[in-house]
Amino acid sequence: MKQIQMTQNSSFSLISTNKIIQMSDVWTSYDSKNFALEGINLSIDRGTNYAIVGKSGSGKSTLLKLMNGMMVPSKGTIKIDYVTPNMNNKKFKKMMHTIGYIPQSLGLVKNITVLENIMIGALPRLSTIQSLLKRFPEHEVLEAKRIISLVGLSGKEERKAYMLSGGEKRRVAIARALMQKPNILLADEIVSELDHVTAHEIMNLIADAQKRMNLTAIMVHHDMHLALEFANRVAVIKDGRKILEIGVEGDNIVDFQTGDLNTEEIMEMYADDSKK
Amino acid sequence: MTPKNNIIIGIIVALVIVASYNVDANPIEFAEGLPNLAIVVEEMLSVEPKYVPTALWAMFETIQMAFIGTVVGTAIALPLSMFAARNLNSKYVYAPVRALLAAIRTLPSILWAILFVIMVGLGTFAGVLAIVMYTIGFVAKLQYEAIEAIDSDPVDAVSSIGVSKLQLIRYVVIPESASHLLSQILYMFDYNVRQTSILGLVGAGGIGFYIINYIKFFEYGKAAVFMLVVLATVLIIDWVSVKIRDKYIVKSQHGMEVRAK
Repeated sequence: MKQIQMTQNSSFSLISTNKIIQMSDVWTSYDSKNFALEGINLSIDRGTNYAIVGKSGSGKSTLLKLMNGMMVPSKGTIKIDYVTPNMNNKKFKKMMHTIGYIPQSLGLVKNITVLENIMIGALPRLSTIQSLLKRFPEHEVLEAKRIISLVGLSGKEERKAYMLSGGEKRRVAIARALMQKPNILLADEIVSELDHVTAHEIMNLIADAQKRMNLTAIMVHHDMHLALEFANRVAVIKDGRKILEIGVEGDNIVDFQTGDLNTEEIMEMYADDSKK
Repeated sequence: MTPKNNIIIGIIVALVIVASYNVDANPIEFAEGLPNLAIVVEEMLSVEPKYVPTALWAMFETIQMAFIGTVVGTAIALPLSMFAARNLNSKYVYAPVRALLAAIRTLPSILWAILFVIMVGLGTFAGVLAIVMYTIGFVAKLQYEAIEAIDSDPVDAVSSIGVSKLQLIRYVVIPESASHLLSQILYMFDYNVRQTSILGLVGAGGIGFYIINYIKFFEYGKAAVFMLVVLATVLIIDWVSVKIRDKYIVKSQHGMEVRAK
């Protein structure tokens, strides 16, 4: 575990302008009274391994759904590569295939094979006839095979998804997202139900792919330690507000928020959480 | 049993008595009529075995009619069910399709048969068309309900990749709803064989044509042969579809281990 040293740091404010995701003053509500998110500001650099940490109900899953256009904010603006995410926006529809999204439920199709599940990631590149007849072009099959071996599922291509273990299902979901050749990878609590060893295997897998493909990975966790271990930056969400944004530089943890928040207290809170 | 329940049961019994009086349903007449039934049964017992080949041929014809009706009806129903599912379409698409399907289901198959007899004349073709219509109405309804019941997680996850609607149907909707489909088709075929057996009453072909005519001429012995063939066939189809269901459907249920043989 990294030594936790809190330092107020301003060097990180000289951030490059290469922002892939920008959210400013984003509010969302399920009804008109209760807000899931209350004025979130986020800006994420291209190629970052970004983590969002918070307890259940804090609004962190909502953040991901806003980024892939499944939800729209009731107030505020979001830009993904300068496009407003919304499933009904034509411009955004064209870039949806570049955003890999792994929901907490994984969203695998249970009755089809591992290979077919992964091929779903390539569907936006295939013609209607090819995809309806399941006639996949050779280079796409090779790409799928490469990703299958990357995620460690070789030999299980023809298994039906419902026959897989929890860890294997997560590997399929990651492979499906990678098959999209994404720029952004969104993952919602992908390791929270796994044992420590498997969780680390899966996280290493994603970190490896993130570096290799220069992805912007945005992962939601409830375990602060895991987030700090793998992410370059961690945002802490509580009751729909971002209360802390920290960065990891070598062994140091740097606070990005200008105000002097009760950082240590929060760190302790999450340290306690993960021991349980 | 609470007093409230007693009152409700009392009201229901009272309603049955009042309604029976209104429609002249008299148990005494039923008892008095029993000897008449005995006469029919007695005549039926004098089964005439030389009609068995004819009966078997008529049954075979009936099964073929039901088979065509089920296959063609299902083939038309499946695309319609995709348009009728609320989780795949906007209101402007599913509402009219559902209304159409509801209208098709309003008529029992025997009324469809009468309509088609008027349209294409007496015979088996009218019967086939009637079964097609009936199958469309029901399979489409069962199937759009199966589609609406599929897990929304894979639908959402795959939609967010930016796939087309056809791709979504091919890779998520059909695989996730297909386990119900085979069971529904088997049930529909089973049911259609029984229905086709009576379509002959209105001249739309099948074994019912023989049954109604022999009964009209009081030849209960001959009618009995045909009725026994229907009974045996329905029992056989029932048994076969249970076997098929056990073999293919139970296995494909989620989470069940498939045993290697």
